Amino acid sequence: MTDRAKFIANVTSALGRTEVIAPPRDESTAAFDDVETARAVADRALADAASNAVELTDRMAEAASTIGWKVHRVSNPEDAADIVSNICDQKGATSVLRSTHDVLDEINVDAAVTSSGATLGVTEHSGDNNETKITESKSAAFSADIGITGADYAIAETGTIVLHPRSGLSRLVSLAPPTHIAVLRPTEIIDSLDELFAHERNDHMSGNLAGSMNLISGPSKTADIEGTTVTGIHGPLEVHLIILEND
Amino acid sequence: MKPLTTSFRTKAAETMVDEQVLQSLEHVYTGFFKGRLEAAGNTDNWEELRDKGKAIKDHTIAHLDYYLGQLADNVEKNGGSVFFAADAAEARKYVLDLAHARNIKTVIKSKSMVSEEMALAQALIDDGIEAVETDLGEYIIQLSDETPYHLIAPAVHKSRKEVAELLDDNYVEGDPVPDATELTMMAREKLRGVFERADMSVTGVNFAVAESGSITLVTNEGNGRMSTTVPRVHVAVMGMEKIIPSIQDLSTMLRILIRSATGQRISSYVTMVNGPRKSDEEEGPEEFHLVIMDNGRQKLLADDQMRESLNCIRCGACLNACPVYRKVGGHAYGWVYPGPIGAIVTPVLTGLKDAANLPAASSLCGACHDACPVKINMPRMLLELRYRTAEGKTDKDERTSTTRERTVWKAWRIGMMGRKRFDIGARLSRLFLRPMARNGWLKKAPPPISGWTSTRDFPLVSSSSLKARLNKRSKKAKS
Amino acid sequence: MPENTPDSPRPERVTLFASCMVDQLATAVGESTVDVLEHLGIEVKFLDDQTCCGQPAFNSGFRSEALPVAKRFIELFEQVSGPIVVPSGSCAAMVRNYYADLFRVDEQMVMRANRVGERLYELSEFISRFFGTDAITGKLTDTATYHKCCHLLREIGVDEEPLEILSNVEGLQMTPLERADVCCGFGGAFSVKMPDISSAILNEKLDNIEANGSNIVIAADTGCVYQMQGGLRRRGSSVQVVHIAEVLAESIRNSNRAVNSE
Repeated sequence: MTDRAKFIANVTSALGRTEVIAPPRDESTAAFDDVETARAVADRALADAASNAVELTDRMAEAASTIGWKVHRVSNPEDAADIVSNICDQKGATSVLRSTHDVLDEINVDAAVTSSGATLGVTEHSGDNNETKITESKSAAFSADIGITGADYAIAETGTIVLHPRSGLSRLVSLAPPTHIAVLRPTEIIDSLDELFAHERNDHMSGNLAGSMNLISGPSKTADIEGTTVTGIHGPLEVHLIILEND
Repeated sequence: MKPLTTSFRTKAAETMVDEQVLQSLEHVYTGFFKGRLEAAGNTDNWEELRDKGKAIKDHTIAHLDYYLGQLADNVEKNGGSVFFAADAAEARKYVLDLAHARNIKTVIKSKSMVSEEMALAQALIDDGIEAVETDLGEYIIQLSDETPYHLIAPAVHKSRKEVAELLDDNYVEGDPVPDATELTMMAREKLRGVFERADMSVTGVNFAVAESGSITLVTNEGNGRMSTTVPRVHVAVMGMEKIIPSIQDLSTMLRILIRSATGQRISSYVTMVNGPRKSDEEEGPEEFHLVIMDNGRQKLLADDQMRESLNCIRCGACLNACPVYRKVGGHAYGWVYPGPIGAIVTPVLTGLKDAANLPAASSLCGACHDACPVKINMPRMLLELRYRTAEGKTDKDERTSTTRERTVWKAWRIGMMGRKRFDIGARLSRLFLRPMARNGWLKKAPPPISGWTSTRDFPLVSSSSLKARLNKRSKKAKS
Repeated sequence: MPENTPDSPRPERVTLFASCMVDQLATAVGESTVDVLEHLGIEVKFLDDQTCCGQPAFNSGFRSEALPVAKRFIELFEQVSGPIVVPSGSCAAMVRNYYADLFRVDEQMVMRANRVGERLYELSEFISRFFGTDAITGKLTDTATYHKCCHLLREIGVDEEPLEILSNVEGLQMTPLERADVCCGFGGAFSVKMPDISSAILNEKLDNIEANGSNIVIAADTGCVYQMQGGLRRRGSSVQVVHIAEVLAESIRNSNRAVNSE
């Protein structure tokens, strides 16, 4: 018997049974909702988000601000770019790393960064899977002063940015540099964790679940020393959320 | 980790005279406990969420064999490897063998209570591999060679000065103590380089999702994210009970976990990992290993009365609510899990006989049950364990009561089985105790209640019973 | 929990379950309970044969000793009908919430226990449920604070009702106790088996009591009253810890005295 078979057999007998049986439907868990239900839930979430964009944006801004994002609401791409420039200046940034996100092109982030005098790197998969490339990419992230990304989703309930690392969006760009700037469009904002996980489940049920996902809600923090909250232990100390409301 | 449950009373006594630790422990109440109350108060459907969380866990545990299989299948489908470890030794061996096979020089550890059961960090170090705890609290206690004091705040007992002595290379006795921010920045500096060079990480798992093979980490610091990003090999270790069936279930579980643990609406980071990095990513682990550990949980599962303890999502709310924990501290519990949940699982996982003091050390106030996000009825289980240590009915070996105790309760029972003897017993004890009393109170009582009068006055039994007085009343009323 | 619309019909007759501690130690609590119930127009019956509900042995794990005592309790109290009132949250909890566990495999006994338990009430629960929290308008001039006994709070679910009842006592200046819902450290035999821990928890409670500055601490369970009073006496404090029944009974006597002297 394999370790697995033996292990599970022990669990089965601890449960007072002789063989594994499929669990009967239980309404408490979504596990029994089929593909269609999952899609319907996700679609409904999308529709709700579309029709409540204004209210969601206000709630997102509020929630994000409460948990430590420095929130900037702008109505045009130029203002967004200015904010990026200003942050680069304030931080005296020499090296900035950004992900590949449409919204970053929309606000012409490259010019905003380079105009402040910093060098700009873009996270993208080089096509090589070799050790050297990976080490270089890591190094770049660890030595960057600022990381800039867009957002895949934002969650109004909690003031959260959701990122799915992939080609063009590294895991480290929003983690290693001491400052992270996330640029968000209102259309990306959803109501709550329920909607987020509805989307994720739908992705899974249709075979498209991302390799990983990060929910980012404010700066990195710890209260391990005398219960005093300190920001910026291993992740960014400062996080900026630029909401581009230019529809 | 080797259990030291027999030292409960001595360790408890040490803590109770340590003013600094008692003051530090106040944080769990003023910070975490109050935080949870506030967060719960701000959440409209809090009770519904708790009920739902309980239902999800009840269902999962009742079908744990099925969900373990589904989880393993899906982790493998995602390109990960799964190892089923019967006990901590097997789990440890797997990680060590893997580290050697992959030529690992540096392991970074993210917080994991299961890895404490495995005593993993020290095992790696003993085997010549650098192993560094990266959660700030765990890092601090690694430096001071201690075990965790609390489920989510491992160094909660440490003063800022003690932390400075451990973290600040330049600190000298008599210097002004750096503030929390300065110390935190020192830790950030020290660990930065470690992150960059780490080639393997070991993390825990907050929730493993069976239907997708996903593991979820809830952190505030960023070390969990580092651990799932920088090294070539990522190993996640979990107790076999940490499963939930569906991705959608995460919205409920995350809400109740995080609010109950720290009072936050959400932690700074929630990370979901579905196997090793995908081919289009430029960084991330090449390998993902999930180690699923039993280490005695089978016993809890097979035990009708104790099975509910497997619903625990390790939030620490019961510790924060417990008046006993706040006075005896985390180390008194002698193993990985302190507080009320520790008092229940430690005896079953490590041996009830040696750990008999753990379920005994409770006033049964019920604050833990109140606080638990998944409504685990800990008082009921404490009483069950007391039953086993008192009478050893299911297992004679578990009985730890003394002959004297058993005699006392036998005498008590005899005294309670008839009104006459109940009254006579009371009047006789008054006769005996009255010479020692003043104004109806005793400064020193004899055994078995002598423990009381070490710190409190004890009331003298009444000169006549309520029965006698009420009968007198009604006689008077009739006349 | 009931709001201000009491359950009807109002009971005219109840059976008193004193609890072993009240029966032999804190008799004044028992007499006060009778006074309060009679003031509400209720006839109170006392079953002479009663002793204990069995909780002390059960909590210490000695279920084989607790079982016959509990059985005796049920046999006695199932002989009467109507509400049973006990001036103790922990005894009420034992009968209502733990007898089923104690009798476990004996389905018959579990059923009989439930039938008794469903008409057994703690005193302040009984008053607020059937008469309303404004039913007693006595008079007692003093500063007081209220400690929330754990079993009454968490096992029986009685939280604000005693405070509401006390708010109708004229002259009683109540101020909230810091950490009122944190245990006093009694826990039955725990107070004697682990006296150091019990006392450490008590010390925090007493610090909060002294900081509060009231002359009286009011609580609804005798064990807690003795734990706190015993500790305060040892500190040389003049703060009095009293059972809510005693406060209410005295407030009624004061009112009657005032009325009689007019």
